[in-house]
Amino acid sequence: MKTIIKYILAVSLMLCFSSCLDEHPKDQLDQEAIYNNADNIYKNAVASLYNYIGSNQESEGLQGTCRGIYDYNTLTTDEAMIPIRGGDWYDGGLWENMYQHNWNANDINLYNVWKYLFKVIVISNQSLSIIDSHKSLLSTEQTRNFTAEVRAVRALFYYYAMDMFGRVPIVTSYDVKLEQVTQSERSEVFKFIVDELQDVAPQLADEHSNKEGDYYGRVTRPVVNFLLAKLALNAEIYTDDNWTDGKRQDGKSIYFNVNGEKKNAWETCIWYCEQLRQEGYELEGDYASNFAVHNESSKENIFTIPLDKNLYLNEYHYLFRSRHYKHGGAYGGSSENGTCATVSTVKAFGYGTDHVDNRFKTNFYADTVLVDGKKIYLDNGKPLVYMPLELKLNLSNSPYKQTAGARVGKYEVDRTAYSDGRQVDNDIVLFRYGDALLMEAEAKVRNGEDGSRELNAIRDRVGMPHVEANLDNILKERLLELVWEGWRRQDLIRFGEYTKAYDQRTPLEKEFTGFTTVFPIPQRCLDLNKKLKQNPSY
Amino acid sequence: MSNGKKNTLLLLLLFCSSLAHAQKQVPIERKDTIANESNIIKIVGNHSNKGAANNALDVLSGQAAGVNVTSNGLDRMAMLNSVRVRGTTSIIGGNDPLVLIDGVTSDVLTLSTIYPADIESFRILKNAAETAMYGSRGASGVIEVKTKKGTGRGFQISYEGNVGFERMYKHLNMLNAEEYVATAKALGVFCNNGGFNTDNYKVITRTGMVNNHYLAFSGGTPQSNYRASFGVMDHNTIIKKMDYNVFVAKVDVTQKAFNDRLTGDFGVFGSSFKNHDIFDTQMLFYSAACQNPTFPAGTDEHGNWLKNESATHVNPPGIVLDEKNDSRDLNFDAHIKLSYDFNPNWRISTFASYLYGSTENGMFCPTWVWAQGNVYRGEFKKEEWLGNVALSFNKQIGIHRISAEASSEYRKLTKTAFWMYAKGIPTNDFGYNNLGATAVRPYGGTESTYEDQSLASVMGSVTYSLLDRYLLSVNARGDGSSMVGDDNTWGFFPSVSFTWDMKKENFLANVKPLSMLKLRTGLGQAGNLGGISAYTTMNTVRQTGIVPVKSSPTVTLGMVRNNNPDLRWETKTTFNIGADFGFFANRIMLTAEYYYSKTSDMLYAYEVPVPPFAYNTLLANIGSMSNRGLELGLSVQPISKKDMELNINMNLSFQSNKLISLSGDYKGMSMTAANVTAIGSLDGAGQNGGDNNVVYQIVGQPLGVFYLPHCKGLVKNENGSYFYDIEDLDHNGKVDLSDGGDRYIAGQATPKVTLGSNISFRYKDIYVALQMNGAFGHKIFNGTGLAYTSMACFPDYNVLKDAPKKNIVDQRVSDYWLEKGDYLNFEHLTLGYNVPLKSKFVRSLRVSCNISNLGTITGYRGLTPMINSYVVNSTMGIDDKRNYPLYRTYSLGLSVQF
Repeated sequence: MKTIIKYILAVSLMLCFSSCLDEHPKDQLDQEAIYNNADNIYKNAVASLYNYIGSNQESEGLQGTCRGIYDYNTLTTDEAMIPIRGGDWYDGGLWENMYQHNWNANDINLYNVWKYLFKVIVISNQSLSIIDSHKSLLSTEQTRNFTAEVRAVRALFYYYAMDMFGRVPIVTSYDVKLEQVTQSERSEVFKFIVDELQDVAPQLADEHSNKEGDYYGRVTRPVVNFLLAKLALNAEIYTDDNWTDGKRQDGKSIYFNVNGEKKNAWETCIWYCEQLRQEGYELEGDYASNFAVHNESSKENIFTIPLDKNLYLNEYHYLFRSRHYKHGGAYGGSSENGTCATVSTVKAFGYGTDHVDNRFKTNFYADTVLVDGKKIYLDNGKPLVYMPLELKLNLSNSPYKQTAGARVGKYEVDRTAYSDGRQVDNDIVLFRYGDALLMEAEAKVRNGEDGSRELNAIRDRVGMPHVEANLDNILKERLLELVWEGWRRQDLIRFGEYTKAYDQRTPLEKEFTGFTTVFPIPQRCLDLNKKLKQNPSY
Repeated sequence: MSNGKKNTLLLLLLFCSSLAHAQKQVPIERKDTIANESNIIKIVGNHSNKGAANNALDVLSGQAAGVNVTSNGLDRMAMLNSVRVRGTTSIIGGNDPLVLIDGVTSDVLTLSTIYPADIESFRILKNAAETAMYGSRGASGVIEVKTKKGTGRGFQISYEGNVGFERMYKHLNMLNAEEYVATAKALGVFCNNGGFNTDNYKVITRTGMVNNHYLAFSGGTPQSNYRASFGVMDHNTIIKKMDYNVFVAKVDVTQKAFNDRLTGDFGVFGSSFKNHDIFDTQMLFYSAACQNPTFPAGTDEHGNWLKNESATHVNPPGIVLDEKNDSRDLNFDAHIKLSYDFNPNWRISTFASYLYGSTENGMFCPTWVWAQGNVYRGEFKKEEWLGNVALSFNKQIGIHRISAEASSEYRKLTKTAFWMYAKGIPTNDFGYNNLGATAVRPYGGTESTYEDQSLASVMGSVTYSLLDRYLLSVNARGDGSSMVGDDNTWGFFPSVSFTWDMKKENFLANVKPLSMLKLRTGLGQAGNLGGISAYTTMNTVRQTGIVPVKSSPTVTLGMVRNNNPDLRWETKTTFNIGADFGFFANRIMLTAEYYYSKTSDMLYAYEVPVPPFAYNTLLANIGSMSNRGLELGLSVQPISKKDMELNINMNLSFQSNKLISLSGDYKGMSMTAANVTAIGSLDGAGQNGGDNNVVYQIVGQPLGVFYLPHCKGLVKNENGSYFYDIEDLDHNGKVDLSDGGDRYIAGQATPKVTLGSNISFRYKDIYVALQMNGAFGHKIFNGTGLAYTSMACFPDYNVLKDAPKKNIVDQRVSDYWLEKGDYLNFEHLTLGYNVPLKSKFVRSLRVSCNISNLGTITGYRGLTPMINSYVVNSTMGIDDKRNYPLYRTYSLGLSVQF
């Protein structure tokens, strides 16, 4: 009897309680509530993707913070390094391994980069599925435009993923199971990106995204055109599925369908660069103005990460990371005394000779540093003098432990910056027309044409004498013009220099095969998805 | 339960009478308070044997096998205040035991604010059958604290108090100014000689003061009585500007009615806890050790600090002291308990409680240490309602006794928070008190949150005992939570236990030396949701960031984590078997218990592949973990005479934990998490990321193991300095320091054995008590030694005295700095005198003096082995520049009963 009473009691209590166990959140919303009209669908499914272009988190953002895409494309090259300075910058061998190409699949930062890129890809897929399932709230044009913009952003992230990791999984649906996530050959990923970009370009606005206004910070048609030019220029690399066999297809025999016409890789690159000219891009008279604190009006910048220290979270760490503590102190903050230009880079600029490139002063801090016309004094009472030629990978026993190496310049110092100079108002330049001109020059030379007009336009702007448009000069010019802009790894790979000895680096044992031109698939990814395969030689 | 109630009352009376003879120690009493819970260890809160125990955690420390308490007041950061009952059983969290103060849910922090004199008893529930009555809330063990109530024996007043001071007695031995300059000269490096000889430890320390006062009065009759108490604690630690104070007040009233059939207990409790801390204590101690000793202790005549800009991780210690991290906790709770006896067999009782807690935080970093300064204020509030109804039955029929209970409970918890960061301060004078005077309040720096959780339970239990010898108890409970998936709301958790009182058997009745022998065993399950928060099963969205839309900053909303609508209860299954022995009228008592517990459907933020997931962690129930251990308790009374008494209590816990698996199925997908995950690394100059990981979580190993490269020794460089010779463990011709490279499992961070012991001796009215604790079988990574020995950092960072001689210019992590962590620590030594008074008014008077943190016996070469070895987080097992200088507390105590 008692048991029965208890049983009845228990059941009735359970029933009564169950209704009290529902959740009613107040500080978060149900997903459906934020996609209730066209405006909100745009904000929350499309504009929200732009949160991920820049960042304030390590290893996230296409540029701006440390240990991410930028570092793996810059500190792994002949352009720059972070030397060990006694007790500073050892950091578990991280920077040394980058410079020496001694990374491996356990590198946690590479994993973070992978997670970042694919997070945005998966969220883009989610946005596409949301736009699709809310079509009834949108006009046909809105559906088409929103979809195009999201697919363009997704392709942009796929471009970085393919460039770094080679064989990556193509995932185009939000509702995908783990077993469906398998890698595609690099050439397939490449084709996918090109097709996507070509497909959506007509739906995108023909607007300058770097300028404040309705299209500020967005992926517009010129951004896509620039990206297509980049893809075409590197097509030899991206179509090579066996990058360790020493063979690759010639760009002249790689064909694209451009605007209904069949063009080879070089012609394709030239065509898209021409598009940019038609879209109104031109070189700024003053090279440095593209990197000014208020560079939103640049006629040259194509795609930027909007920075505003009072409005947005995106940060720019590279000046802060590079300059000497006292140098940062002179601007009222602190600094990390890290990144330096390599000796070969400053020499390429003619440092130490009578013919110093006119861009040297904009791009670097070297020799005696003046802030507001005043010298900066070190603890020993001597003025701060950067020693560009004293740089070594390990400075622990050097008398120039703290002062060796030319430092990162290029961006104008925002004197009202926050966070020791990490929060500034200069928009970070990702794509600019100056690069497009050099791409066009290179594509022309590679296609057997004359690229001197484009190459020398770049040199004219900074008052440097004309040079012959050949591949050597173009690679050199790319360093001079584009130093600190994150392109060096890709350039060295395209010119076949990345795996060779340069600056103070000797190649790894098997590096001649080219295996280091692609980073390893992070070990965690392989652990978590058994279907993924490691890149060769890792 | 009615039996239990009576017995508890009896105990209360016993205890009160013991107040009059305070020297009579009953440290661990194994009284059967409730027949079917005979295996519950009961610690009587008679703290007098522990001298200056200022804090309830001190009283608990070392008293019960299987309970690890790490507390040294609140002021030894590196150790964290933590209580673990039988170790860590869940990775996600919820490892803090349930703390109940008079039945009201509380926490370890609030427990630490309770004055020991207010505590009547602790009960520690460890086995599943014991914790069954608290269900999921008690999955990680339960500490029941019963505070004192009115005695019903007329008006009484008692005062207890102690005052004392604290002195630093040991700190790391760094180079002084002269040696620093000489070393730089010998090495031929420039050092910035400020011309001073500053003892930076002197800059940050002072003589600490401890002040505790407590007053209680009670009165009334057995039918109607009350008790009220007030306590004040004030503690200035040895670190300047770090102090805390506590104010506690409580009132309890008991009223009986209807021929004593109805008993009502009402109580209110309020506490305020104010803590002044430094924002970055690691930087404080790092700076005290490594700041250039030739720099002045204070500012120059213009009020400017001399900073070494190239030593970015340290600052003049005096500046760091200006940082603030203050908190103020306010707690208020009220409870009411009514029970009515229909007849001797049936009783109905109800319990209801309300709790309101708020925490206010304020942080401030002056412009000296943080460009543009940084200010923060936060408020965190919680409210909890709990209601419980129970019907119980109890009957003795000849040799049979049966008791049964059915109960149901509903608990609702609401948490709200509001916080704000700001920077760009015009002056350092406002501290965190004027957020309006700041230039920037960035997006993401201001937030408010709301969360509510509800938990419902129904429970039935039946206990049957035969001949008072054999006792079988069966519990079944259903727990329902709002936080799990809609299809998994209810979890069913049964348990069963059996006790056999062998001494009552005829064949042992005549074995004179044996005074007690009991066997017990149990098996049961409990659900745990402790570490998770609400709404993780829902497809909700929050702000994802701020972007320009048409050039105006716009907040976007979206998914911010992987949601898991299938979340279930984490289940812990425990088996225990044990025995209690008593010899020579219980002058020797031994208790032994073995347990094995397995946590399945283990809640954890599992690493999941991106893609298909957007984020790389998913809160899910996939893996499993086990804990096993043996707990031994020994209590010996070698001398027990009228004038002389000696008590020795000791408990030992052997513990081993194993992470069994992190792989399994989720929605038909086979999830295989990484087998090796780093959880702790070094932090400091030149130690940011890279191959700096020290402590890992590895499947098949205990949580928190050292996975390190092996150092064969030191090798000399051409220039006379040394570096670590790292072994190529996989013989591939290349030394690889990365996670999957040349590393091996070099030991575990949690102790394999812990010891708690107290010895007390009384001669007439004088007594001496010593309390010790120890931990063995674990290792500590001496990251402080690694960093402070490395000459790579010199002269920007000062080094240890023996560093120049060793001349190691290498910062790589290896087992060179992994050391045994075994220690035996003398916590408190008390000398007391019970003044024999024959006064009408004063019933007892006791004076005592006490020394705390007497000393530690250890082979560990760092400052102290007492670091965080229990709480699984990024500091576990790693001594990394966080330790306080060692100090002792000397105090005088007075206790008077009127």
